[in-house]
Amino acid sequence: MSSDADTRPAALAGVRVVEYAETASASFCARLLADAGADVVKVEPPAGDQHRRRGPFPDGHPDPDWSGMFLYLNANKRGVALDLTDSSQRAAFDQLAGKADILVVGGQSAEIEGLGLRREALDSRFRGNDGEGGNDREGRIGGSGLVVCAITPFGLSGPNSGHLGDELTAVAAGGLSFATPGVPDGVADPANEPPLTANTPLAELMTGVLGSAACVAALLSRQFSGQGCEIDLSLQEGVAAVMPYELAHAAYHEPKKRELLGFALMPNIYLPCRDGYVVIMAVLDGHWRNLMAAAGNPDWGDLEVFASAVERGRNWDALEPLLLEWTMSHTGEEIARMAQERGVPCFPAYSVGQMMESTHVTEREFLQEFTSPGGRNFKLPGHPIRMAATPWRSFRPAPRLGQHTAEVLGEWLGWTEDRARSLAAVAE
Amino acid sequence: MKSSTGSVQTPALRGIRVADFGQVIAAPVTAQILGWLGAEVILVETESRFTTRVWPPFADGKFGINQSGGFNLVNNNKMSCSLVLSNPDALEVARDIIRVSDVLVENYATGVMERLGLGYDEVRKLRPDIVYMSLGAFGRSGPFKDLTGFHSVINLFSGLAAVTGYPGTHPRIMGGLIPDAFAGCYCVLAVLEALYHRSRTGEGQFVEVSMTEGLTGMIPEGVMEYSLSGQEQEKAGNRNGRKAPHNVFRCIGDENWVAVSVETDEQFRALAEASGNSGWAGDARFATTQARLENQDALEALLGQWTVGLEVEAVVSTLQAAGVPAAPVNDSADVLADPHLLERGFVAHLEHPVAGTRPVLSLPWAADGRRANDLRPAPNFGQHNDWVLKELLQVPDKEYERLMSSGAIG
Repeated sequence: MSSDADTRPAALAGVRVVEYAETASASFCARLLADAGADVVKVEPPAGDQHRRRGPFPDGHPDPDWSGMFLYLNANKRGVALDLTDSSQRAAFDQLAGKADILVVGGQSAEIEGLGLRREALDSRFRGNDGEGGNDREGRIGGSGLVVCAITPFGLSGPNSGHLGDELTAVAAGGLSFATPGVPDGVADPANEPPLTANTPLAELMTGVLGSAACVAALLSRQFSGQGCEIDLSLQEGVAAVMPYELAHAAYHEPKKRELLGFALMPNIYLPCRDGYVVIMAVLDGHWRNLMAAAGNPDWGDLEVFASAVERGRNWDALEPLLLEWTMSHTGEEIARMAQERGVPCFPAYSVGQMMESTHVTEREFLQEFTSPGGRNFKLPGHPIRMAATPWRSFRPAPRLGQHTAEVLGEWLGWTEDRARSLAAVAE
Repeated sequence: MKSSTGSVQTPALRGIRVADFGQVIAAPVTAQILGWLGAEVILVETESRFTTRVWPPFADGKFGINQSGGFNLVNNNKMSCSLVLSNPDALEVARDIIRVSDVLVENYATGVMERLGLGYDEVRKLRPDIVYMSLGAFGRSGPFKDLTGFHSVINLFSGLAAVTGYPGTHPRIMGGLIPDAFAGCYCVLAVLEALYHRSRTGEGQFVEVSMTEGLTGMIPEGVMEYSLSGQEQEKAGNRNGRKAPHNVFRCIGDENWVAVSVETDEQFRALAEASGNSGWAGDARFATTQARLENQDALEALLGQWTVGLEVEAVVSTLQAAGVPAAPVNDSADVLADPHLLERGFVAHLEHPVAGTRPVLSLPWAADGRRANDLRPAPNFGQHNDWVLKELLQVPDKEYERLMSSGAIG
């Protein structure tokens, strides 16, 4: 993160983005573009984005301007409130979209169709606006330069495009849920232990990253052609796209089993220890010898039945209790230090707090600090891309509902403040 | 190529060349997506550093460096140049490749590129406007920068595992090796942003992404909660604090499950009706989201009794027809065979010269209905040595013969 005084340029300076979405995927997509310096205008319905009601709330009571998830998804954006079901407010929205380089939309496919937010529908709206909504920015003609990025559960086309979905269906249909827990964690009883997902909108946020990449790719493509395009990105595909190695097993041989196999190379294992869990990878014979040294060279370390990774896998039932005796007598940190000192890959399961307070995270200054109106300090993750010449910036908190309606209608459309006020709810 | 809306699409990365020093999955995924976007990707490979090429799965279970599924699914659309990077002549060829490249991507252990003389400070002398994309498991700075970053380690450090699993039990490791490919996707965004900046200013730059930070970015609520209260975010199994039912349910068969997620009372009434349990709609235990959340043990048991006698597909189609979000819990074979993904062109089939015809993934989004401009199979080891040396680098014949016989190539 760079300071306000930083005069280095932003990668997407001058790029205009309009967002109309209440999904984490689309909002995160637009937030990443905003972090890179794009001028992102988030258009919300009068009731406000649903994430304003989600929390966590720093001052202990619901406050639509201080919902943690909303702040995370919408930092660095300006906020405009417009009711798209009202024809004059919709016309203002269309004019904003007509001035934009990118329009990011999210929701169920039918909602996006129904709101007329597909690129073709928008094109005809631009043409119907007597030129007022036409995209007259440099090098483009009549809205044809607009990039529309639509993020939906199953995409805009294909037999399941009309299916309703969310985070859970995405993780399930994309194959990630079935693959979880993953190696070297595993299930003991595959027939009865259900597939699993995380307690966080993982699929939504991962797909948001792909969405922002798709948008920048479309800008690069437009430099050649002068033409925008419609990006069709689904949560299901966003999930499947990040597990090619898992899919390779099915494509080349057979799908991976959910249980840890007794005949796998060992130890590549996730084991309980005195204060938690630890992962140990000592498949290579050198790593195995070093692990045994870390464990104080117990007699059983030299047994013929544990002489190779294959043997250790075959005789895992005998090896596991011996290793457990060692791990259960130490903390995860102790085991990891003893193993890492000897070059054996090993790591303890961190709590969120351990991660946040680790010297690594604090030295890299990854977390961003905030103070609520009630004076509570809290943190959120920062931006994971560190660009030397065009660093990301945190220059604006997430907007209040309609905070910048008059400002944006003035700047982008040349409207007077009175005109803006007569049209829409404008925050004081 | 004409699209449905009549616009003419040009590959985003036409004329861009990428020098790919990627290892395992993360950076290879980055370079593969850049290739799908039209870049010419040269994979610089060294036999002593093989990873996925020598790891299973292999085509039909038979070992071979050109038939590894793990390699072939993340290296499509690339050209392979096999260089023995410990050999000074080979290193000079690598430098020559970099001189004519716009982007370099690498995810070696921290310090490896510098020891090879290919760190950013050296590379920028070869190519001042290069976009140098460096991806580290823990990043390139900080006390953990040298730790080995297996996906499990990244899961366990980042906090993602801490919010995965069942309430009151231990952290679970997410499957799919997602930290790697996900970080690779962040790198795509980073490279595209850097190229956009370069297209307007001529300026290249060094860009860094860490796998752990990408993953920690997935748990904003957990981070915020701890910073406010010192409390850890509760694990929730497959449940969700705002929706019920919200879980996976057994269907007919050994490991067949369906995911059902109900957000509104209207959806719940539709679920009750569609499953032939219209009585649920009038049951006070299930009347509101709050009531369903409080009584979800009972609700899940009832719903499970309905699904367990049905095929997954029957549950999905019944519920979707009624307006209730539901989806199959697909295993990886199901994903590759999903008619929806096949029709959308996300899953395609490609003939590999050694491995035969196999399913591959394509670009994870479509622009005006189109994905990758053309799909080409992953290269065999060193397949494009001649092209790189003779065509691209214009190495004279005599020098070419010397390189080929000196042990620098291969």
